[in-house]
Amino acid sequence: MAQHKVNFTQDGGLPVALTTIDKVVNWGRSNSLWALTYGLACCGIEMMASGASRYDFDRFGTIFRASPRQADVMIVAGTLTKKHAEFIKRLYDQMTEPRWVISMGSCANTGGMFNTYATVQGCDRVIPVDLYLPGCAPRPETLQYGVMLLQKKIRSQKASRAKKPKRLM
Amino acid sequence: MRAYKPKDDVQKKPYYTDRFWVAPQVPKQPVESDEIFAADLAALQEKFEVLDAYIQVEQMVVYINPEDNFEVLKFFKEELTYDQLSELSAIDWLAQKGEFEIFYQMLSMNKRKRVRIKMFIKEDQAIESVEKLFRSADWSEREMYDMFGVKVNNHPFMKRILMPYDWQGFPLRKTYPLQGDEFAQWYEVDKIYGKEARDIIGPELRDTARIDRYDSERFARLGHEVPKGAPVTDDDPINPQEYQEDEGVFMIKKLKKESSVIVDDPQR
Amino acid sequence: MAQQPNRLRPFFENITYDRDDNELVLNFGPQHPSAHGQLRLMLHLQQEQIVKAHPDIGYLHRGMEKMAENMIYNEFMPTTDRMDYIASSSNNYGFALAVEKLIGLEVPRRAKVIRMMLLEINRLMSHLFWLATTALDIGAMTVFLYAFREREYLMDIMEGYCGARLTHAAIRIGGVPLDIQPEFLDQLKTFLDKLPKNIKDYEDLLDENRIWRMRMEGVGIIPKEMALSWGCTGPMLRASGVAWDIRKEEPYELYDEVEFNVPWSDKCDNFARYRIYMEEMRESAKILYQCIDMYEKCERDGQTELMAHAPKYISAPKLDIMTQNYSLMQHFVLVTQGMRPPVGEVYVATESPKGELGYYINSQGGPYPYRLKLRAPSFWHTGILTDLLPGHYIPDVVSIIGTTNIVFGEVDR
Repeated sequence: MAQHKVNFTQDGGLPVALTTIDKVVNWGRSNSLWALTYGLACCGIEMMASGASRYDFDRFGTIFRASPRQADVMIVAGTLTKKHAEFIKRLYDQMTEPRWVISMGSCANTGGMFNTYATVQGCDRVIPVDLYLPGCAPRPETLQYGVMLLQKKIRSQKASRAKKPKRLM
Repeated sequence: MRAYKPKDDVQKKPYYTDRFWVAPQVPKQPVESDEIFAADLAALQEKFEVLDAYIQVEQMVVYINPEDNFEVLKFFKEELTYDQLSELSAIDWLAQKGEFEIFYQMLSMNKRKRVRIKMFIKEDQAIESVEKLFRSADWSEREMYDMFGVKVNNHPFMKRILMPYDWQGFPLRKTYPLQGDEFAQWYEVDKIYGKEARDIIGPELRDTARIDRYDSERFARLGHEVPKGAPVTDDDPINPQEYQEDEGVFMIKKLKKESSVIVDDPQR
Repeated sequence: MAQQPNRLRPFFENITYDRDDNELVLNFGPQHPSAHGQLRLMLHLQQEQIVKAHPDIGYLHRGMEKMAENMIYNEFMPTTDRMDYIASSSNNYGFALAVEKLIGLEVPRRAKVIRMMLLEINRLMSHLFWLATTALDIGAMTVFLYAFREREYLMDIMEGYCGARLTHAAIRIGGVPLDIQPEFLDQLKTFLDKLPKNIKDYEDLLDENRIWRMRMEGVGIIPKEMALSWGCTGPMLRASGVAWDIRKEEPYELYDEVEFNVPWSDKCDNFARYRIYMEEMRESAKILYQCIDMYEKCERDGQTELMAHAPKYISAPKLDIMTQNYSLMQHFVLVTQGMRPPVGEVYVATESPKGELGYYINSQGGPYPYRLKLRAPSFWHTGILTDLLPGHYIPDVVSIIGTTNIVFGEVDR
C-alpha cells in the first residue's frame, strides 16, 4: 500500500456516515440560523445582549444579518406598531425560503402591556409565527432557549420543499 | 339597560368616588413671592395682557391671549433670557369648555427658572407657529397637530409626525378611545391585505386576561403543544421541555447530560 | 437607431431622473441596524453629500400618554420603563419625582440614597451601551464586546436588586420598595474598582484610533445657538459649550451633597460628545462611591424607612397592612381605586442619561392623570438631524446618529 493512502481499517474507519437527506439538510439549516436584526424596542436590547460577549450567540451558529435576503429567521424583538406593520410584511416577503419567525416578548406576541390604538396586537396578525417567547423583556437565556427549540422544530420537519410555503392567508 | 356613557370623554373613569370627596389643591403662591419671577412678570405686563399669573411648584404659570403667543415667546426669549423651549403641547378641554389649552414650557439657564406660558384656544382656532424662534417647536407643533388636531399657522411642514400620514382621528383627544376606533383597529389589515381580509384574519383580541386553553392557533399550553390549528383535547400529548431530541443531534453523539458541567456562577 | 436585441443594459440606465438637479433620494430605515431603533431618514443626496434630511419617526409610537390617562398613577410606573429602556430607573424616577412634587411628599433619606445609586448605575449602563453601539456602528467591534461585558455586571447588580435586567420598575412613588440586598455594596465596589481600568481600556482603543478620530472629529458640529434652539439637553448640550446639568443646577435628591464635576466641551463635534460620555462615566463612579458612604452612614444612624409616610397616597409598610385594620383598608383603596393627587399641575425635569427628562402632569383630583406629557430628550435630538445632516456625507450619518444617543422608545413614546 502506498504511503499516502489512508488505512481506513485502522484510522477510524471510512469517512462515511449513513444518514438521510432530511437529517443532513436539517442539520445544516438548524445549526446555521442566521437571524435578521429586527430590534424594534426593548427586546432588541436583549437580543443584542444575547449576541454580545456574555451570552455569545455565535456558538449556536446564529449570526445577525442586516439584510432579509441573507437571513433564515426573523426575530421580531419588540413592539410592532401599526405604522411599522407594512414593513415587517415587506421584510418577511424578502426573506428566502425556508424561513422562520420568532416572536420575542409580550409585545410581539400579543401587544403585551400596550393595549392601545397604535400597537398591532401580536405580530401574527401580519406574518406567520413559529415560536412565541414570553417575557417583557425575555432574558437572553430565553432567546437562546427559543433558538434551541426552533432548531428542534426544524430538525423534526421534512427537508423537502414539497410542503407549501407558510402564508398567513 | 346599559349605563349611559358620555361620548365626549371616553377615557376611563373611577368606578367609585365618595359623595363628599373634595379634591385638595396644589398650593399656588403669588408671583410677588419670588423676586425674579416678579420682575419678569412686571416686564411682561408692560407690553402684553396677562390674564392670570401665579407660582405653582416652583414654576411661574402665565396665562396670555392666544394671539400674542409668538410675541410673548419672543419677549421671553430675547428680553428675559428664557433661551430654551423645553416642551410644548396641548390639553383637551373640549368636553368641558370646548377649548384646547396650549402650554409652552420654557427654561432660563442664567436665572435657573422655568416658566409655563398658557393660553386657551377654541377647537377650530389656529395658533401662530413659534418655529422661527425655537427650532424645537418644529417637531413639537407637528406632534401637537398629530395628537390633538390643533392647527398651527406658518409652520414649514405641517404633517403628522408620530402616526402614519393616512391616519384618521386625533389620538389624544378625550373622544378617542384608548384602544382605537374601527379605523385604527383594522389599520394594518386594511393596509397590508385589504378590507376583504378582515374576515380571514379576524378582530384583535383586546382582552388582556383572556386565556383559552383550547386555542391552538395562537398559543398552546407549554409542555402540551399540538400542531397549529389542531384541536386540543383533554388528553393532549405530553411534550417534555428538552433542549434536544432524545437521541441527540445525529452528529453530536458524545455529549451526555451527566458528563456536562452546569455553570451556576454567572460572574465566573 | 438600429435595434440591439440582446444588449444588456447597465442598471443605471433604467433609472429616469425626473429632476434636473440630479438629486437622489435615499431611504434609510425604518429598520436599519445602525439607526438605533426605528428611525427612518429620507436623505436627499447630491452625489455623496446630503443636501436635505427628513427624519421620519413614529414607528415605535405606542400611545403611552394615552395609556397614562387611563391608568392609576402606580400602574403607569412600569410603562415608563419602556420609554428609555436602556436606563429604565431614570424614567421611573422622573415620574415618581413628578408625582411626589404634585402631592408634596418628602422621601426618607435612605430611600433617596438608594435611588441615587440606582440612577447612577443606570447612567453607567446607558453610557456603556451607548459606547458599545456607537463603536459597533463605526466599526470597532472589540469595544462593543468589552462594553457589553461591563454592562452585564451592572445588569446583575440591578437584577439582584429588583429582579429584572432591563425593565426595572425599581422606584416607587414615595420611595423604594426594597432595601438593597446584602451583597449589593460589595458587588458595586468590586465593579467600581475595576471601572477606571476598563474605561482606560476603551480609551486606549479609541482615543488614538485613526479611524475613530477621523469619523468623529469635526463631524456633526452643533453650534451653541443651534443646540439651544433645538432644545438639546444632556451631553448633547454640554458638548456644545453649555455646562448645564440639572443635577447641579436644580439639584434633586441628594445631588447637592455629593461632589462631582460636570464635563463640558466647546468643540461641539462628535468627538466632544464621546469624551463627555467617557468623563461622565468617571463622574458617576465618583458619585457612587459617595453614595456607598452615605448609605453606610444611614445604616449607622439607624434610618430604616424606605417609603414616605402619607396614608392618603401611599400604602403603609407590609407589617402594618398585615396587622392593622385601617392600614389594610387604605391599602385596598389605594390598589383598587388609586391615589387621588390634588388638583394642579407640575412639570419636573430630571437629568436622565440622555438629557432632560421631564414629566408634565395635569391632575384634576381624580385617580387618573388628566394629561401627562412626557418630555423625552431624544425627541429633539432626533429632530436636530434635520438641520445637522445637510452638508455631511453618508458615512457621517451613522456616526452622528450614534453620538446623538437616541432611543426610540423615548422618541416616539
